[in-house]
Amino acid sequence: MTVPLPAAAENPSLPQYVIREPSGPYRSLNPATKLSVAALEVVAAFVIPGWLGPGLVIAVVLVTAASSRTLRGLVIIGLAALPLVVSIMVVNLFLLPGAVDPIARIGPLAPTWSGFWFGLLTTARLLAFSSALALAYLTTPVDDLLADMSRRGLGRRGVFVVGAAVQMVPRTIERVGEIMDAQRARGMDTEGRIWRRARGVVPLAGPVVFGALAEVEERTMALESRAFTAPGRQTLLRVPPDRSIDRALRWLALVSVAAIVAVRITGRMG
Amino acid sequence: MDMLKGWVARQFTTRVIVLMPVAIAINIVLGYTVQSVLKLPVYVDSIGTILVGCVAGPLPGAITGILSNLIWQYAPGIGAGSQIGPFAITAGVIGLLAGVWGQLGVFRPRRGHGLNIVAAVVAVVLIGALALYTYGRAFSSPEQFSSATFKDTSVFDQSRFFFLAVMVVFVGLVAWALLLRRDIGAVFAISAGLFTGIVAAVLSAPVYAFFYGGLSGSGTDAIVAAFRAGGDSLYQATLKQGLLSDPIDKMITTFVVFFLVGSLSRRFVARFPNGEKIVGPEAEPVTTPEAG
Repeated sequence: MTVPLPAAAENPSLPQYVIREPSGPYRSLNPATKLSVAALEVVAAFVIPGWLGPGLVIAVVLVTAASSRTLRGLVIIGLAALPLVVSIMVVNLFLLPGAVDPIARIGPLAPTWSGFWFGLLTTARLLAFSSALALAYLTTPVDDLLADMSRRGLGRRGVFVVGAAVQMVPRTIERVGEIMDAQRARGMDTEGRIWRRARGVVPLAGPVVFGALAEVEERTMALESRAFTAPGRQTLLRVPPDRSIDRALRWLALVSVAAIVAVRITGRMG
Repeated sequence: MDMLKGWVARQFTTRVIVLMPVAIAINIVLGYTVQSVLKLPVYVDSIGTILVGCVAGPLPGAITGILSNLIWQYAPGIGAGSQIGPFAITAGVIGLLAGVWGQLGVFRPRRGHGLNIVAAVVAVVLIGALALYTYGRAFSSPEQFSSATFKDTSVFDQSRFFFLAVMVVFVGLVAWALLLRRDIGAVFAISAGLFTGIVAAVLSAPVYAFFYGGLSGSGTDAIVAAFRAGGDSLYQATLKQGLLSDPIDKMITTFVVFFLVGSLSRRFVARFPNGEKIVGPEAEPVTTPEAG
């Protein structure tokens, strides 16, 4: 009897090599293809005027996310943008310059319909833009992305900078948490008045930066001793597949971006 | 051509390549902590960028800035799902400028001798004139000021008010730096920060207006809202908000970087491409007063 392996989303505590890689038509695309499609979606959301652009992009992203089972991750990322969405809605609802069609009058406040629609459109564009990129991120392991970029000619320095940065962020978050706790124990105020909180910037930034810089020297020597600066190309052990459908999709994305921009510039769109 | 290649290659030593991801992580995590945990109305998401620019040069600085914002946007799990990607352009220019300041030796600690004091005064006058010009152009109508702050226009003309606010922070930081370190180099570093901030504000305003309808979901939105209430267009309101927040933010950031670089060991800093231009003079040998 074979035991079904858990999917990554269900069990984040398991290391990646024991988890069954989720598959599907969108997931199995080449990372460069997913990024090209995301770029097309971003351009469409902002360049096509009115509701058509963002509406279309959000619909496509939602369908793709549902079919590749990333809807939950996408919703979580969407929720993180909530403060921004609330801010956009409130400010535009009450303060859109030149709006004269009030929904109701509540004392000195007069929310307007045009403010409401403008806020909603800005929110739709923003969500279309961020969810298009988030979908590519959620379905592409960073290692695959880097391996693919490396095959396409990004040198080992570039691969190292991007890969190490992504790995280093969670570690730095942990370290900042520890430093905050330590400084709080020494009397740093993180909840008082603004001036008291502002005084915490240097005691926080100092140890974070010094701690991170302390590793730079050792890592430099470790890389140098492993032929980091040697000439010639690296041999890649695993390369994400690049099928003919990937190439076709990338060309399609490129042509579509050019077409959308050209139509917009010539003024034939709204 | 060879000179250009050499100039580029000199900036990307292995040490710099190792520093860049560290700086990107610092940008993202400190920016997130200061904005979301300390809840301060500044960004502080360019300490790493300015540090790399300062010790390594304009190109690594620009790349660090651009990658910080792109990685933060692309991998939202590692921040608060921040929507910062489109500001990669601004971040790149901030890194580029920091690199230029680094190569010009702006971040070098200096003693307050005759020529240094004259140069510092000239720098302050120049940057003050630039700020006055920018604020005079951006905040031009007293009526808008009145409606934005509910204060009487006879008290302040708003360009003077905002210019004053930024200058108070400038003088305060310089005074603090001089008091802490007795080092006139701080004047140059913080002036460079003010210049960088003005450039960043002018570059960010169209990005804000185009991508976000002028808002960021943080404390600075209240300022944008106040300007909108005063009848400003979206672009004007975001530019004015940026001209208040960005210079203050960048002055604080350069102030922090100046102190950090000054506190690092000379040996460590000197190994970076700009190292020789930013290490300070050796400490003066202690002289014992002679008896009699």
